[in-house]
Amino acid sequence: MKRILLTVACLAAGFGPSACKIVKTDSVEGKAPAADASGDDARIQNLLTETWEPKLLPTIRDKAVPVADLRAAIAGGLDAAGKAHGKAGSGAGAAWNFAVKGQGKVIEAKLDSRARTMGIDTDNDGAADVTLQLGPVVKGSALRDYSPFYDFTNFRDQIEFAKLGRALNDKATAGLTIEGDPTGKTASFTGVFAIRSATEAWLVTPISVEVAP
Amino acid sequence: MNFKRRILVSAMALAMAGALPSLAAAADTIAIITPSHDNPFFKAEADGAAAKAKELGYETMVLVHDDDANKQSQLFDSAIAAKVKAIVLDNAGADASVAAVQKAKDAGIPSFLIDREITASGVAVSQIVSNNYQGAQLGAEEFVKLLGEKGEYAELLGKESDTNAGIRSQGYHDVIDQYPDMKMVAQQTANWSQTEAYTVMESMLQANPGIKGVISGNDTMAMGAWAALEAAGRTDVIVVGFDGSNDVRDSIAKGGIKATVLQPAYSQAQMAVEQADKFLKTGSTGLEEKQLMDCILINADNASKLETFALN
Repeated sequence: MKRILLTVACLAAGFGPSACKIVKTDSVEGKAPAADASGDDARIQNLLTETWEPKLLPTIRDKAVPVADLRAAIAGGLDAAGKAHGKAGSGAGAAWNFAVKGQGKVIEAKLDSRARTMGIDTDNDGAADVTLQLGPVVKGSALRDYSPFYDFTNFRDQIEFAKLGRALNDKATAGLTIEGDPTGKTASFTGVFAIRSATEAWLVTPISVEVAP
Repeated sequence: MNFKRRILVSAMALAMAGALPSLAAAADTIAIITPSHDNPFFKAEADGAAAKAKELGYETMVLVHDDDANKQSQLFDSAIAAKVKAIVLDNAGADASVAAVQKAKDAGIPSFLIDREITASGVAVSQIVSNNYQGAQLGAEEFVKLLGEKGEYAELLGKESDTNAGIRSQGYHDVIDQYPDMKMVAQQTANWSQTEAYTVMESMLQANPGIKGVISGNDTMAMGAWAALEAAGRTDVIVVGFDGSNDVRDSIAKGGIKATVLQPAYSQAQMAVEQADKFLKTGSTGLEEKQLMDCILINADNASKLETFALN
């Protein structure tokens, strides 16, 4: 049962964990995808083609705020920082989504999990203050929610909208390999994260990570 | 009260004189239509909406459709006949409810949806949707973490006709299936029911004594499963629910069920009324129609702050 589900998920994403086969469906090229759930994967694939390289990556690169500047802004009030640099989710108490860039020493690396992470010290105090998500399991939907050009109202339902979030996360961490133990090395990154309070830890979904050799 | 209401009416009449002439005068009533209040979640919705409506000077007409689309349609007829100013609705079916909401719109009555969405946009003014998928992912992430990313587990599914049952299950599996050492050995519906979950859990446990965890589509089923596990002396099994009920909160406090996911029902219903009020006064909510409202993970760290589907 589980194996079937996994295969379906891989087919659905069309890309994703490297263990999965990449399967192209006819509907990606030519015909308009079906409006119901059967067309979701093709439609999302099309949307990724239209937005990932042409819009999403440039938007995040252009708008990413240096870690220290963003930290200072958020210390001055999350809502003010959010209005200046972020994008709000909907609803009371919704998260603010920010784009951030920076570098620092890798303090800890959890690479034996399906949800791999690295903790980075960006302010030289010896403690990790930014956690980078390295996949393949990525939490949250900050890539989707930071982007101004994905509007929930245009999606059939939250399943289709969720599939977009998942596809973006998969795309961001696909092919992300960290060789050896990065602990102690310097990592630079650009990515997005969501927080609901000024004191919440930063869990960044990166669009780029480089560990200096 | 009367005086205040009259001012409101004239303000609205002025504001909408051009745009929505059919909404003139009559009593300022907001209809609040939800599933049965037997489930405390829906009662919290109705209470939240009614409290906010009273605070803003409206009368309320509180109705339940019992998840029956036909009954919902009749309730809409009643609300339209009563010339309510707006309808706050937790609907009885994503497809089946479109016609009812359209009927109200045609009669000049705006609808503000909470909890569940409908499959059409442009019919309701607002759809404030609980992000069940995001919530399910939170629950699944916690579940996987508690199980150490490995082990046999069972899933209790909700009522098949309810879209949220499918959405939650999909959210669970989109996370759990990414862990190759997590093995689902049983998956069965218990139709949101506590007693049914008890029976289902008993048989699942007999067939699969190696189960380490149970992930449930809602809290009432999680309570039933936990009762069966306790009766079988299997309190080592990790149970995670969904909804954020007071029952599960109390179980978490006692070290029973390990986690659940809160849908902020009370504040969501209040937001819908606020948006209705703004729409009636200005002709616009100033917001997108469809708004996803995030759910919040509840575990031993924050369970004590939970009360009637709100975190204090």
